Amino acid sequence: MATKSGYQNRIELVQGTLDMLILKTLQWGEQHGYGISQAIRATSGQALQVETGSLYPALHRLERQGWVKAEWKQSESNQRAKFYKITKLGKEQLASDYERWGKMVAIIEGIMTAEGVEL
Amino acid sequence: MKIFFRRKTDLREEIESHIKMATADRIARGESPEAARREAMREFGNLPLIAEVTRERWGWLRLERLTQDLRFAVRQLRRTPAFTTTVLLTLALGIGANAAIFTLVNAVLLKDLPVTDPKMLVHVGNDGHDCCVGNNPTREEGVYSNFSTDTYQQLKKNLPEFEELAAMQAGWGYRPIIARRDGAQTEARSVMGEFVSGNYFRTFGLRPAAGRLLIDADDARGAPATAVMSYETWQRQFGGDAAVIGSTFWVNTKPVTVVGVAPRGFFGDRMAVSPPEFYLPIQTMASLANASYVNDPETNWLYIIGRVKPGVALGPLQQKVNGTLRQAFATQKNFSTENGKKYLPRVHATLTPGGEGIQTLQEGYGSHLHLLMWIAGLVLLIACANIANLLLVRGMGRRTEMSVRSALGAQRGRIVRQLLTESILLASLGGLLGLAVAYAGARMLLVLAFPGAQSVPIEARPSLAVIGFALAISVVTGILFGVAPAWISAQARPADALRSGTRTTASATSLLQRTLVVLQAALSLVLLVGAGLFSQSLNKLQNTDLKLDARNRYIVHINPQAAGYAGKQLEALYRTIEDRFHAVPGVFKVGLSTYVPMEDNRWSNYIVVQNHPEAKGLAGFVKANSDYFDSVGTKVLMGRGIDVRDASAAPAVAVVNQAFVHEFLGGRYPIGQRIGFPDSPGDFEIVGVVENTVYTAVQLKDDPMYFVPMMQRPASDKSPIEKDMSLYAGTMVLETAQPIDDMEKITRKTLASINPNLTVVQFQTFSEQIAIDFTEQRLIARLTMLFGALALLLATIGLYGVTAYSVERRTPEIGIRMALGAERGGVVAMVMRGALIQTALGLAIGIPVALLCVRFVKAQLYEITSADARVMTGAIVALAVAACVAAIIPARRAASIDPARALRTE
Repeated sequence: MATKSGYQNRIELVQGTLDMLILKTLQWGEQHGYGISQAIRATSGQALQVETGSLYPALHRLERQGWVKAEWKQSESNQRAKFYKITKLGKEQLASDYERWGKMVAIIEGIMTAEGVEL
Repeated sequence: MKIFFRRKTDLREEIESHIKMATADRIARGESPEAARREAMREFGNLPLIAEVTRERWGWLRLERLTQDLRFAVRQLRRTPAFTTTVLLTLALGIGANAAIFTLVNAVLLKDLPVTDPKMLVHVGNDGHDCCVGNNPTREEGVYSNFSTDTYQQLKKNLPEFEELAAMQAGWGYRPIIARRDGAQTEARSVMGEFVSGNYFRTFGLRPAAGRLLIDADDARGAPATAVMSYETWQRQFGGDAAVIGSTFWVNTKPVTVVGVAPRGFFGDRMAVSPPEFYLPIQTMASLANASYVNDPETNWLYIIGRVKPGVALGPLQQKVNGTLRQAFATQKNFSTENGKKYLPRVHATLTPGGEGIQTLQEGYGSHLHLLMWIAGLVLLIACANIANLLLVRGMGRRTEMSVRSALGAQRGRIVRQLLTESILLASLGGLLGLAVAYAGARMLLVLAFPGAQSVPIEARPSLAVIGFALAISVVTGILFGVAPAWISAQARPADALRSGTRTTASATSLLQRTLVVLQAALSLVLLVGAGLFSQSLNKLQNTDLKLDARNRYIVHINPQAAGYAGKQLEALYRTIEDRFHAVPGVFKVGLSTYVPMEDNRWSNYIVVQNHPEAKGLAGFVKANSDYFDSVGTKVLMGRGIDVRDASAAPAVAVVNQAFVHEFLGGRYPIGQRIGFPDSPGDFEIVGVVENTVYTAVQLKDDPMYFVPMMQRPASDKSPIEKDMSLYAGTMVLETAQPIDDMEKITRKTLASINPNLTVVQFQTFSEQIAIDFTEQRLIARLTMLFGALALLLATIGLYGVTAYSVERRTPEIGIRMALGAERGGVVAMVMRGALIQTALGLAIGIPVALLCVRFVKAQLYEITSADARVMTGAIVALAVAACVAAIIPARRAASIDPARALRTE
């Protein structure tokens, strides 16, 4: 019998990062949800498997915030799917996200390589 | 909403397309189609949960859950039509009864007058019953609500804080007027009028429906007589004819110009059974009604309502009003004596909110309405207990369903929420049906409370407030009866329930059920005792010996003053009336008097006894002709009654009643004693004693009274005969040999043959008139009985349900008992014992509560101070019998259980 804990929304932990990855993927061209998850998996060399439980909430949130736009189209295999496309606002968000990501990496790197600090 | 659903299907399609693509890829990699799809779905994860979390991003989740719950609830309710119908009916009755009474409470107690800005209106006075006409007396508490024209003028002059100050007739004297439109073939009608100040309509901020309303110039001495007609009269009697405006009407045979029509919906300054059809200026009263007190500074007869200027503080205004009153009273006769001066500093009038008008009706019915609200509330509680029990039983039946839901991952709170939604939905549907019951109920109540009245200004239609009330009560009711069963049902332990064949005996459910039944029994007892008390009160009232004879008697109200008769012409008129009516075949006696018994009327004077200075006080009086005592059936006990020889010229005599002898003469021999007024104590010689016929109301049954011949005036009265209003007979009492069918038509014709203006103000049989006096008490008694019976029925059903359910649950146990040798009689006794114990507990709680509650209703009962043994035993027996009836059927079913089959039952 299942224990009753609320579904833990793991996107909380990498929320900003996932958004960034999705937007970058879409910058390469419009794509549907399945395609995005495959793309991320492929580009990371099978290392990163985005769970659909994180992906779809994120996609819908991005749509709500106006960073992506959605449209129903036919895919290559003649399958009707919902394609997402990055908007101008999304491109701006992507750029600022990437910049912030870089700064954060630099800060953490700084701490990790520090010798110690006199308190 | 549509967007939501489209997006929902959208999302589903999106997810489906994802899975299809994943499946396709797997197939391309070599998996079999079924395996591919299975793996693709497993890889996707918990589909519904992900869909839900995604949808959460849209912010619609709570609404979606609610819709889900509602749809499910509707499905469940449709599956058990018997249960649903029973509950809906019970709720419709319970909520409907409450809403019906609230409709009346809202319309009578809470509604403002239909005027502009009622919040700024102030009533100078706090009593809707300090009324009628009287000398301005000194008072112990010094509080006044009724004023003379002169006092009104002084208040108006000295209080600039009032934007407008209006005066209106307080009592009922001279309200009945006779109005006839000018023209050849028009008929005279006896209608209600009201005399008001010139700024009456302006104070209320009203605009005319046609023509114009009264202005100050209309209320000046010597101004041409004008009047304003009510909207309803204009529509009903004259079809909204525009020619009415500016036309002449003969009011009490004097010409009056109708200058306009009051706005639609305006019914005057107070709620009354017959609102005024004409509004006339105060200064016309002297000529139209021949009222001598209009400009007497010492006769109180007006109520005062004013509109304060914005920003005026009521505290200082109150002080100023009191000061002005004291100034005005200081010059009056009653306050100029040494004794009188003492009362002057206490004189005051309490300012109260005037937005609801004069509270005469409200003061009369307020306590009844509150009582009814309480009773209806209790009945609803009982109904809730019943429904809660039903839900508990139903919950037991759904245990499997709940357990499966729990096993599938539903949280307890979610299940409780869903069950509660079901309850609230039931309650709301019941409430909607209840609105129909409310409308019917309110109308029925109005008809019962004001029989025969055509234009009572009380709306029975459910207004927004009533609908809101019904809805609020529905939700509260739903939560009340739903929360406990929901909580208990949601508690099901899945493993237990999924196992079949539970043989658990009494659980928490059973305890709750039994508690509810006990509570129902207690509440029912309280209501039954209440019903018993009110019935007893009504009985006492109706069985009081009124000391009159109502058989074959007809009461005819007439208005000779309005028909244009001057004081000098009355003696001849009365002779003519007596002769003409005696000539009608079948008529025995023709009584004429100022008023008759049992019509809530009383004229009184301050009387003293000659040579006995200690004997003084207020006594009621009636002026009557010789046939009068016989016509109403009052027996003469000593001496003689009024006689034909007591003409106007003969020596003044009086007949007194027993109560008068007791109170004023201390049992001394009354014949020959002289009574009179403080200035002239010997005006009348007592010539006879009659029994204590009840005049005003049964509650005032030992009122000392004296009777004076119609046309006689005491020697001390030097005022001109034209000004003596007591010479005018208000009623005629006709005694016939047997009931005459078209007596009314004959009466009208006979009167019209004497003078076409002599209309019949009202025609009733004596019995009808007496019955009307008891209307209020009868209504309350009937309603309490109805609610008491309803409560008893609900409690019986509740007890039956619980007992039947317990028998069913205990079938295996009973089977074992019987297999082990228990007698059938023993089984019956066991079941009955259980039921009767619950009832006994209910009685144990209910009896002290009932005894306690009697004090709250004492004021509305006649001569009853406590719940006496008869009422108590009656209620207890009723409840006990009902309990036995409720329990016997399941008990016998238990006794007829076949032990072998019972043991096999799962």
